[in-house]
Amino acid sequence: MSLRPVYIRAIASLGAEDPDFRQLFSPLEARRMGRLLKRAVWTSRKALESAGLAMPDAIVTGTDFGSMIQSEAFLGALKQGGDATPRPTNFMQSTHNTIGSLIAIQLGCHGYNATYSHKGNSFRSALQDAWMQISLGDIDTALVGWFDEAFAPVGSTDKAVSVVLTASPEGAMGRYEDLLGTLLES
Amino acid sequence: MSAIGCGQAETLAALRERRSGIGPVKYLETSLRDFPVGEVKLSNAELAARTGAPDTWPRTTLLSILALQEALLQASLFPDGKAFSSAKKKADASLCPEGKAFSSAKKKADATENAFPSGKVESLQESLILVSGTTVGGMDLSERLYPAYSPWHSCGDSTDLAARFLGFSEATTLSTACSSAANAFIYAANLIRCGLAERVVAGGAESLSDYHLNGFNSLMILDREWCRPFDATRAGLNLGEGAAFLVLETEESALERGAKPLAVLSGWGNACDAFHQTASSENGEGAFLAMSKALKVAGLEPSQIDYVNAHGTGTPNNDASESMALRRIFGDCIPPVSSTKPYTGHTTSASGSIEAVFCLLALQHGFLPPQLNWKEADPACITPFCHSERSEESCEESFRHILSNAFGFGGNDTSFILSRV
Repeated sequence: MSLRPVYIRAIASLGAEDPDFRQLFSPLEARRMGRLLKRAVWTSRKALESAGLAMPDAIVTGTDFGSMIQSEAFLGALKQGGDATPRPTNFMQSTHNTIGSLIAIQLGCHGYNATYSHKGNSFRSALQDAWMQISLGDIDTALVGWFDEAFAPVGSTDKAVSVVLTASPEGAMGRYEDLLGTLLES
Repeated sequence: MSAIGCGQAETLAALRERRSGIGPVKYLETSLRDFPVGEVKLSNAELAARTGAPDTWPRTTLLSILALQEALLQASLFPDGKAFSSAKKKADASLCPEGKAFSSAKKKADATENAFPSGKVESLQESLILVSGTTVGGMDLSERLYPAYSPWHSCGDSTDLAARFLGFSEATTLSTACSSAANAFIYAANLIRCGLAERVVAGGAESLSDYHLNGFNSLMILDREWCRPFDATRAGLNLGEGAAFLVLETEESALERGAKPLAVLSGWGNACDAFHQTASSENGEGAFLAMSKALKVAGLEPSQIDYVNAHGTGTPNNDASESMALRRIFGDCIPPVSSTKPYTGHTTSASGSIEAVFCLLALQHGFLPPQLNWKEADPACITPFCHSERSEESCEESFRHILSNAFGFGGNDTSFILSRV
């Protein structure tokens, strides 16, 4: 089978500093979402905006650990007992695919949606998934992200990167294989 | 590996004898003892003894190894049983036991991570990729070690332990909650279609944990009775556990090495309901799109599907939403549909691959797994296939295409089609 070339059209990322979330979220939304989710939606929106793409064909997410802060809150409540009741919100937001599915809900995107959680290889797997589907001609565009939060006990750090992959060279930053190395080091 | 058996022979017997594996909690350490569960009927020590792996490894990993060993042996990808004992020795030497201080455990885990894949156990004959699906990972150990985290807490670590133990050259992990294993099939199929691999082992594993039993309880979707998918009185799901893996390969590669294909993965579809983090939409949009895509990839009309293995968890919301999607796909001609969750409980991340094995057994042995524990029709739901020995025999040889559904939190919905060779 002949494979199509794949291009990177936009990249958006955040460092350890948070942006002003009020630009994107209502106070109610902002309260409901944890910081990891807000940062993920932020970079997703920014990447799509700079790619000039309203709706991707697929959303593929990598997260090395998911939300450890939510896991810790739920596990802590479970182990400490007493008045601490394990909260459904913590459980729900500790599921790794909560990030990718929230992006889909925010965009109203019914396309392909998957999440990889394989330590340092999570983002690489997510990119490979999107690359394969575009190469094979199954889809034309994909929004790929890497989201993690700093949590000392497992050695994770803050990470929020969103990338738009396309089959079309139009407006591209470059070929996928030429930019992959830089992306993985981001 | 599931509550109804370790290996295909036990699983087949239970399905044919209509035997459920759901019962009171026996092995899991939890305070929620009044919820029935579908446990694999082996302790961690017994699993470890069967696999040759240390009993201090995550239960998810131990279940994976046992299922992978069966799959690799059946596919003639494992030389012989001797490899297991030498694999065990090397694994013991390179991986530390539970109970040490967290920091030193973490350091060693990092060291072995860097050594992978060059430090792999040489037991497989060739380079082989493992694509697994899990969400719980090594949570069972983190529960025991609390407040420390197990060095194998994460999804990736629990997969890597199994991969390294058996000598896989590469591994990755899908984590889309209850559709994880089904999505592993898609990723594996695409690796093969792109020419990146000739064969890939794909599936999923999930052990029960106090964590997600409490999580599902906090969402109020557990039933205190035996689950009743599609029944008017259904009140929730029973959690289960297990692991299952399929060896996927191209027809050319199978023919070349004289392997006998069991079935064709003829279609797959992944779509997002994009409705709610834990609830399914009323019109079952995600499920409808996933099934539609799978039919399109397979080049099949809905009327060519002979049986649907439903996601059918037993929650009021899932079963109504899935029924709506089934009606949208099949109209008035809905093929036999059953949920096998009353046999195994909801094995969450592993359900896609465990149910794929049920479908393969059904295709090979010419029977449909009848649904258990359904009594009262619900106008909002399809009527599942529940009967009988006679009608099962009559459909022998006659069915060719089976569609299976696996839907996850966040509306991560996946369907795949298995067809007779």
